[in-house]
Amino acid sequence: MSLMSLAPRADFPLLAANPALHYLDSAATSQKPAVVLDALRYFYETSNANPHRGAYALSALATDAYHDARATIARFVGVADADCLIFTRGTTESMNLVASSWGDAHVGPGDEIVVTALEHHANFVPWQQLALRTGATLRIVELTPTQTIDLDMLRDVVGAHTKIVAITHVSNAVGSITPLHDVVRIVRSRSAAVIVVDGAQAVPHLPVHFDTLDIDFYAFSGHKLLGPMGIGVLVGRRKLLEAMPPYQFGGDMIEWVRDTDSTWNVLPHKFEAGTPNAADAVALAAAVRYLDGLGMANVRAHEIALLEAAEARVRALPGVTVYGPPPAQRSGVLSFSLADVHPHDLATILDQHGVCIRAGHHCAQPLMRRLGVSATARASFYVYSDGSDVDALVGALTAAQQLFATVD
Amino acid sequence: MSTVAPFTASIAAMYQDALLAHHRAPHNRRVLETPTASGARRNPVCGDEISVMVLLDGDVVRDVAFTGRGCSIATASASMMTEAVLGLAAGEALAVADAVDRMLHASGAEASVESVLPPALTPLLGVAPFPGRHGCAILPWQALREALTAKR
Repeated sequence: MSLMSLAPRADFPLLAANPALHYLDSAATSQKPAVVLDALRYFYETSNANPHRGAYALSALATDAYHDARATIARFVGVADADCLIFTRGTTESMNLVASSWGDAHVGPGDEIVVTALEHHANFVPWQQLALRTGATLRIVELTPTQTIDLDMLRDVVGAHTKIVAITHVSNAVGSITPLHDVVRIVRSRSAAVIVVDGAQAVPHLPVHFDTLDIDFYAFSGHKLLGPMGIGVLVGRRKLLEAMPPYQFGGDMIEWVRDTDSTWNVLPHKFEAGTPNAADAVALAAAVRYLDGLGMANVRAHEIALLEAAEARVRALPGVTVYGPPPAQRSGVLSFSLADVHPHDLATILDQHGVCIRAGHHCAQPLMRRLGVSATARASFYVYSDGSDVDALVGALTAAQQLFATVD
Repeated sequence: MSTVAPFTASIAAMYQDALLAHHRAPHNRRVLETPTASGARRNPVCGDEISVMVLLDGDVVRDVAFTGRGCSIATASASMMTEAVLGLAAGEALAVADAVDRMLHASGAEASVESVLPPALTPLLGVAPFPGRHGCAILPWQALREALTAKR
């Protein structure tokens, strides 16, 4: 089929060096364009010093680069108050930060924390553990038959005792997109809960504008949106962030350290203890500029086109189950299983055809239990994916079915 | 820049007919009503779980069976395992489990390793070049080891 990639593959050194590789695991991590790798190198070659520290020009350069990166990324996700954008190691750390800092200060016995059965472990376990250590109750909103969040059940579950609603924007395992406006309306009309949203699978694939969402915390990871591993973001409302205790203690996050107590730096530094990951922040800013150049609406349209084409052809194979709602309500994720081939076998056979997919529980064991499977196979698309990837996927699936069918 | 390693190990060598036949029609996939010992292991990568039940007569494995869901490698390995350890003393069965471990982790140079494997297990040799699948092959053996060491 002739669908072209949205971004030139030549922009991605790993893909350019491996023309026979069909990388369909971008929901796990994306490949990196040269501009991101160049930004990383440029920072270390021209601006490397410890930000916020030295009274010398080089340190000021590093500080400016770090500051500019924050401003660029804040603009990209619709955050006007850039000091409310905290750099973390990724979504996982962002969620743990909110659970520890806001959660421990506000949640107690008798309170309820609401999550959904769709969550990645990173947006499930921190809340489960917060409930266990504070004596609160964890409430799990179940799913519709197409693995979207059951809004009727959300309506029933959220109430006066709800302190936190933690919900994914896009499911990593099946790609379902949460109707956040509906969720916010339901939660706000029934409770004073803070709304925490896992945007790890949303920011890379959809236009996201935090300030218009009326939510309280939003987290995402850089490495899934063309950026480096080890950098991520937590966005929060200023009022909440200012009232929260620090998550970690150390350099940069303090104002004054007396012998017996200390005071804290202003936002965003209060939540960025230690030497900041300035180089990766700068590279992530390069990534979002690259995505801005492509246009997030175009990214979304490209993924839907690929997903619809792939899904139609995969569904035409015998014994296929595809999970999740219709393609228009999913990110570029095709999660499926074949009747006669275990996902793990499938991933090995597809690897032999140069097709990289994920096989496993996708760090979403609560969802797998509800699907009644131990694992699914997941192919995921991104800006560099094209029709040849779909062809290779379908061809390799057919080969796998033939291999397993030839046994007497 | 260097490219991703080409796919050298043969998929056909892993998914030989013998292995796939075990997967399609596994031996001793059943429940032992009165096992002397049992063990269960879960593969954290994929969530597959294999349970192994053993009926010991003194120290000798008189019957052995498995249940659970797994990929073709885990299922075939469990099936072959029940064939390979039936009638062995518990210590001998554990030695076979050790041999499977060593075989999977041996480099190509250590050709002698395969000679210590019982013939019933030779289809497992094809799994060695696929490190991502070692956990699948080893799963039933870990469950067996758990059963036999718990018993001792």
